[in-house]
Amino acid sequence: MTGGVGPLATAGRELTGPETSLLARLEGILGGDGLRTGHLGRATYRRDASFLNADPLAVALPRTVEQTAQVLRACRDHGIPFTPRAAGTGLAGGATPTGEAGVRPVVVSVARMDRLRQLDVPNRRAWVEPGLVNARLGKAAATHGLRFAPDPASQIAATLGGNVATNAGGIHVLTYGVMSQHVLAVELMDADGVVHVLDGARAEQAGLDLRGVTVGGEGTLGIVVGACLRLLPSPPAVGTLLAGFPSLDAAAAAVGALVVSDRLPDAVELMDARAVSLVEGYAQAGYPQDAAAVLLLEYEGLPAGVDAGVVTADHLAREHGATSVVRADGPDQRARIWKGRKAVAGAIAKRAPDFYLQDVVVPRSRLGEMLDAVVAIGERERLEILTVVHAGDGNLHPFVLFDRREEGMIDRVFAAGHDIVATALSLDGTVTGEHGVGIEKRDFLGEVFDADDLAVQRAVRDAIEPSGLANPDKVLPTTVGCGEARMVPEGAWV
Amino acid sequence: MGVNATSYLEPTGTDEVVDAVTRTRGRAGTLEIRGAGSVLDRLPAGEAPVLSTARLTGIVDHAPADLTVTVRAGTRLDELRERLAEHGQECPIEPIGEHGATVGGRLATALAGPRQLGAGRVRDWLLRVRFVTGAGTPATAGGVTVKDVTGFDLCRLLTGSWGTLGVITEATLKLRPIPAHRAWYASDTPRHDVASQLYRPAAVVSTTERTHVLFEDHPDDAGAQAAAADLSPAEPPALPASARAVVDPARLAALRADLAELDLTVAIHDQLGLCHLDGQADALAAARAAAERHGGALLVLDPSAGLPAFGRGHAPTALAGRVSAALDPDDVLAPWRWQR
Repeated sequence: MTGGVGPLATAGRELTGPETSLLARLEGILGGDGLRTGHLGRATYRRDASFLNADPLAVALPRTVEQTAQVLRACRDHGIPFTPRAAGTGLAGGATPTGEAGVRPVVVSVARMDRLRQLDVPNRRAWVEPGLVNARLGKAAATHGLRFAPDPASQIAATLGGNVATNAGGIHVLTYGVMSQHVLAVELMDADGVVHVLDGARAEQAGLDLRGVTVGGEGTLGIVVGACLRLLPSPPAVGTLLAGFPSLDAAAAAVGALVVSDRLPDAVELMDARAVSLVEGYAQAGYPQDAAAVLLLEYEGLPAGVDAGVVTADHLAREHGATSVVRADGPDQRARIWKGRKAVAGAIAKRAPDFYLQDVVVPRSRLGEMLDAVVAIGERERLEILTVVHAGDGNLHPFVLFDRREEGMIDRVFAAGHDIVATALSLDGTVTGEHGVGIEKRDFLGEVFDADDLAVQRAVRDAIEPSGLANPDKVLPTTVGCGEARMVPEGAWV
Repeated sequence: MGVNATSYLEPTGTDEVVDAVTRTRGRAGTLEIRGAGSVLDRLPAGEAPVLSTARLTGIVDHAPADLTVTVRAGTRLDELRERLAEHGQECPIEPIGEHGATVGGRLATALAGPRQLGAGRVRDWLLRVRFVTGAGTPATAGGVTVKDVTGFDLCRLLTGSWGTLGVITEATLKLRPIPAHRAWYASDTPRHDVASQLYRPAAVVSTTERTHVLFEDHPDDAGAQAAAADLSPAEPPALPASARAVVDPARLAALRADLAELDLTVAIHDQLGLCHLDGQADALAAARAAAERHGGALLVLDPSAGLPAFGRGHAPTALAGRVSAALDPDDVLAPWRWQR
């Protein structure tokens, strides 16, 4: 379980007959520019932003839906699975090309299919290709007074196809909801290369909501080759608050009070003291350095409602012990405050060679207990853990900072990760809020769901994707309730 | 009445639902699932035995601090509304018509109320669902936290499936604070462009006389928006109830023009693409043809109209058929649903 071993272990493997034949056919479809078969060309696609990696047979980079269909048909004809991929910012190994029984899948990257097909301003929606970067849609929409609400912290790199596949979240989920609520229709390509338009644009659906199942399908139901996304009018007024607290518990209690107040904030983010201190040197966001935790709060909408929300939040924060509460005095200060939150991963990269990012959710009333548990786990495993939280949603992201070259370190990191997940489960929480199951959380599903639940999920998946070629080995555990849940399932390299 | 059943089952718990479905499956029978009947009683009467959720009732857990509530499927929406209001909270899933409705029934049909424009779709308020499939398998999907991507999203799949995939027995719903201020306004004449001039109104409904707007904002904001759009305080609109036509909102103007040619009473949810209709059978049939021509569907909720409830616009796709077959392999759960 150490980095660097994986690539060498399989580099010299000889190709089977079907593999050789498939590669020749793929080259015919994609040309040399659209297919990577060499060791170096494959190496970049061994993993997403997680540590889990595996060697693909090849990497296909189609430019069109038609090319993608031809690639999938070629895979089908040779019985070789495929792993869909976009920007590779996923954190759960969903785009790591593992295959059952050692079969190497073809990575099918949709990164080159990155057009904004149509910005339909009157109807406030956009048709996009899957490789379009989230922030680019936001920028295009903004010129028309519109916005795309889902805003994961990775939005400058993450693609909308990936956001659909993982049912991504972000900072403004609390009132705007997760990705699924913003997906009006999905074009799902099955393993035969046939595109199914799964429509959810109508106010009342006629028939089953297969769109809803596909969002969050993590590539196991096929490849999302297009999507129609809902845009919202940009809010006329925004109020952003930055509040410092003397303890994590005080900040968590303030979150509890805000969530049950008259008006829900549109965003409630919590950062612990380690996160605050780390980003300050990197982003100069103006966070209070003496605070044990800070809350970033935002109210959006019409001016009187925003002002009322800000007044309430200011009052509640102080009532729960806030030592400082500052309202952003304009767009520049607001941008600086959010820059700090979104810069956490970048700041960590300057601090430690490696980080491992967790994603768990607890009911909001258990947030304080969960935060305390993360601190205790860090102390027990002698690890530096900093935590940022989509606090309004009870969604924690502990970052474990480490150097993998240290003897025994990886084992301690994953032990901590395991304990964080187990603690969330014990607090009636769940194992992933927005990053997805992938392979990282796959073996935990048996602890969340019973055998019947998983059998029903499997039946739905198999009905939509009967070939079993689409992103095998992901989401559903291969064996149910057997053995202990693992952070790193068998067959995946770290 | 839409109930003309040879037998009537009233299970009191999941085990009894499993038992009812399994027995029915064993004798190659079918079941129709009924909540309060607010929608089912407005479909043409069926012959299948009815499985009622009337005794699957009660609030299992309301967690005000988590903004969630878990209820059994047969719980009435009005009862739930009262209980949540004690804590200043609501789940903005609206009853359809005046005959009461259950949580399970509203999830199963997923019909839109006027506030869907501002509050979002029925499907978006469901966090966890417990159900019994047509194969008699009890299952849970989703979780009680507001964010959860653990496993496939079967909550969305069950919502709006009209009881064809499983019997919903329990639901955990997302809640929100009751808006501090709520007021209807209206224009003097119908103005279909009003909705696009306003910032996120809670509801916009146009009749042949005027356009009604619901604001759920700070009163100062509501007043300012109303003044800017030249709207005056008004009563909520009356909604025709015989039929509902739904098209992609982008096709609504075209459908509206077609409906104007017919002898119908119409109320239109601008931006949602939903039209409530009253009229005679021939006019409703013509409206259905128009909705289908524009890629939509029309649902008839009046058994006296003499039209099938569902039309061609509701015909399942091949892919949907495969999913139905996976969860209800022996066609126990109203397999004729989309044809009746």
